[in-house]
Amino acid sequence: MKKRMIKVVAALASACMVASSFAGAAFAAEGDGSTPRNETLYFAGQQWGAINDWNPMSANSNNAMGIQQKDATRTLIYETLFMYNILDNQMYPLLGTEYSWDDDNMSSMTVKLNPDAKWSDGTPVTAADVAASFDYNVKCQSSYGVEMTAYIDSITAVDDQTVTIKSVVGEDGKAVNQLMIQQMLGKMYIMQKAYLETVEARCESPEAMKLDPMDDLVASGPYKPYYDDDQKVVFIRDDNYWGQAESMWGKLPVPKYIGHTIFGDNAAALLALQNGEVDVSQAFITGVEKLWEEQDLPITTYIDEPPYNLAGTIPTCWFNLDKPGLDRVEVRKAIAIATDFDQILTSAMTNQSPSFEAVPRTMMNPSDPEQALFDHDALKDLQWTGNDIDGANKLLDDAGIVDTDGDGVREADGTKLSYKVECPAGWTEWNAALEIVAASAKNIGIELETYFPEASVWTDDYTTGNFDIMMNSVTGASITNPFYRCKQFLYGSYADAEINYQGNYGHYHNDEADEILDKLATETDEATLKQYYTRLNEIYLTDVPSFGLMYRPDMFYTVNESVWTGYPMQDDETNIPPADCTDGYGIAALYNLELVEG
Amino acid sequence: MKNTIRNIFHSPKFVIGFIIFFGLLLFTFVYPWFVAADPMEMIGQGNFFKPGTYISVKDAVESKNYTLNIEAKSSNVGAHIEEKDKKSMREWLVKYGGVSQEEMDAADDNALVELWFEKYDSKADQKGLTASKKKSYVRLTEKLKKLASDADVILAQENEDGELEATGSFDSQTYVNVGDVGNKRRLVLGTDTFGRDVLTELVAATKTSLRIGLIAGVVATLIGLILGLLSGYIGGVFDDIIIFITNLFTVIPSFVLLILITYSVGQSARGVGTIAAVIGLTSWTWTCRSVRSQVISLRNRDHVNLSKLSGHSMIRIVLTDILPYVASYVVMAFILQISSGILSEAQLSMLGLGPSTTNVATLGQMMNWSTLYAAHLNGSWWAYFPVVLVIALISFSLNLMNTGLDQVFNPQLRD
Repeated sequence: MKKRMIKVVAALASACMVASSFAGAAFAAEGDGSTPRNETLYFAGQQWGAINDWNPMSANSNNAMGIQQKDATRTLIYETLFMYNILDNQMYPLLGTEYSWDDDNMSSMTVKLNPDAKWSDGTPVTAADVAASFDYNVKCQSSYGVEMTAYIDSITAVDDQTVTIKSVVGEDGKAVNQLMIQQMLGKMYIMQKAYLETVEARCESPEAMKLDPMDDLVASGPYKPYYDDDQKVVFIRDDNYWGQAESMWGKLPVPKYIGHTIFGDNAAALLALQNGEVDVSQAFITGVEKLWEEQDLPITTYIDEPPYNLAGTIPTCWFNLDKPGLDRVEVRKAIAIATDFDQILTSAMTNQSPSFEAVPRTMMNPSDPEQALFDHDALKDLQWTGNDIDGANKLLDDAGIVDTDGDGVREADGTKLSYKVECPAGWTEWNAALEIVAASAKNIGIELETYFPEASVWTDDYTTGNFDIMMNSVTGASITNPFYRCKQFLYGSYADAEINYQGNYGHYHNDEADEILDKLATETDEATLKQYYTRLNEIYLTDVPSFGLMYRPDMFYTVNESVWTGYPMQDDETNIPPADCTDGYGIAALYNLELVEG
Repeated sequence: MKNTIRNIFHSPKFVIGFIIFFGLLLFTFVYPWFVAADPMEMIGQGNFFKPGTYISVKDAVESKNYTLNIEAKSSNVGAHIEEKDKKSMREWLVKYGGVSQEEMDAADDNALVELWFEKYDSKADQKGLTASKKKSYVRLTEKLKKLASDADVILAQENEDGELEATGSFDSQTYVNVGDVGNKRRLVLGTDTFGRDVLTELVAATKTSLRIGLIAGVVATLIGLILGLLSGYIGGVFDDIIIFITNLFTVIPSFVLLILITYSVGQSARGVGTIAAVIGLTSWTWTCRSVRSQVISLRNRDHVNLSKLSGHSMIRIVLTDILPYVASYVVMAFILQISSGILSEAQLSMLGLGPSTTNVATLGQMMNWSTLYAAHLNGSWWAYFPVVLVIALISFSLNLMNTGLDQVFNPQLRD
């Protein structure tokens, strides 16, 4: 009797489960979030939670799929004046058609706007909107507004289609940093003046505008919000988009919908990519070549061979120079040359990075324009490729840094060389790289323990200098680089900030480097630039305040061609960068996509 | 005592569990005699090398050559191409190579390969073909070229002037005897994420896990036993306090507590001993409760009262008159504590909260890194399946031993 009861209950329970799963499916089909597969381009690796706002000035937006203001800004919803192309380091017209400096001092710049440009409500995009976008960023003290007031004095409308940008000038009458103004052209979202005024009217103070979700946004981009919850985000194409004018793209982007399922983790996103449920993935995929070589899936990356993607940035190991022991250059250099970079490249990065043999270490990224900016021969003797255990041991022995108490760990000036190496938990390839750094250091009598806290703890630690050795990246491809990157590596006044988000996290000070960096901001002569950059790299490689662990793409870019094809690929002569079809000039890819035949 | 042990070893369940467990234990002790390598050494440059024997190419080239008259692949390429490759080659040739369907149908496998080398051009205008497909044709052609090549491989070395000078050549019928090759390494279970030998690491990890299980088991059992004995025997307010603490620990999910404690001690303090102790400290409650309830039923037995009347000390009474009666139960609980200790470590390490990776191998860390590097999604079974199997075998054997003991000790279950 009892057994029968159990059976009945079990049957009922399973029936309920089956029924509820059907109910779930039926609900999803009815919900307005579902879109036809062959009209939707699916992304992965960008959005990790439900969208909280549509406000480009927001201080705590997590809207990564829609809003990303960076060197190559994401222009699906809001647009910028120009689009930055990481391939050729050039600006391409978007809302703006051309820009030029008014004089040699670069004290002001004139930007012409495209007369065809329209907002989603049909009104034209005017110079007043551009001026308002900057003014409101400053007024509500958005982080970008605060940053830019150091470089831009004002933006004013001359007429409807002409904007004048006045630079902040130094004592010599020259712009303090013309690169930041050029960067702004491809970085700052242009918002509608009338809409901003509406938002201001409903907010208590200008600062409160940063907290407005802007659900009723007016923007100029090719897509607008369509559906979002904690499962997915969908944008729909604006069929009245101004860019179909001949002066811009001449047509609409191909996919009617842009979709991003919110995945629990990288593994779930990878599984979806393998199954063809994702078209473009920005996630790091370990052993990505196995997807086509072994599993025979229609998946590919920008480059068919290792490193598979364009490297743009240098994830770096930073020493805290305030810590006893790490203030000795011999200790820093020993750790750096002992590290097995080939192991990091092949196992942590699964070959998705150029080696330090192929691109010798400097502060420059592997792109041709940056590599041309310094004297390669002058740096040759200063560079190293790693796994030099004997060299590192000798360096330490010669400096008198030896193990005096026989515990297998060396001491420097009485301090045991035992440190924590830190980066956020769950950043897989970074965690693995640091494990390899720690394993290498064991061979030279330096004790490194890996420490992987939550990302927020790590951020607190590195901004306040509360770490021994820490891993963090620097800026990648940008119109302001390599200048800004060198500054991140070396600039002394960053170190003096109480809370330091900008760079030089290890508090390195070198007067000569500071002096060169100050001069670099306004230097345009190529020979002088080359001389400066060579010297800066010499300083960097001699003093080793930090060392690069690998090269890494700004964005990973893996596409599955089960539904869509026509993605930008290396050597396809389109000059469209592999910026996930969304960022900077990379968005041009959306206009070239086509459905796979058959 | 002797009789009890004989009884235990008559229980088939216990014997099977015992054999598996001590087999594993023995293996972890015997294996290092044969393979002395450091389990944490990153020998493979790259991750997830396949299981097999790796021989040095340089040694192979330099060792004695034998000629075996075995038909090499190159003489019959057609027979060595997969069906799906043939199909896609035919498709390409008809669509982009200007070959007619009739001509295609007539061509046999070797003719197909010839046609392919003649007509295929990666630069051809392949409209409608996806980038991944185009790239797959390039790879296929590379593969075919290697298969079809019957040219000898020429061995050349740099002479004094830095020029290459041929010093020998091999055709496809040159063989070496693997026994002649000096430098080789047998990687029975391949390599892991960091290029470590999985089998060697697995043995070291099993040892660590058993140690963690043992320490955790001893800590948990000792705490549980002592508190249980005392609170059961003394009773009164003392009992109330202890049972209050025990209840407190019981209602807080021990795994959550475990996560919080290991997280707060920090990575650098997280050695094997610490982890084991923390696991032990969070899992003693049920031993304590069961021991206490048994002691309560024992403490009013005649022999205990007799001891009390004889003026024996409390410690002596507990040790000689009570402990032997709960001992069988405690041994069983201890076995289960070991098993759950090992599982807890594996769970913690999967969350990245286990002992530091670079210093010591543990089963959980092996699982953690192989899943982080998607071994389960890219077919590298050797990096995670053996680990799962070992964890399963350990807890299976311990549970089996426990059930066996139960059958012997528990009068209700006795045959």
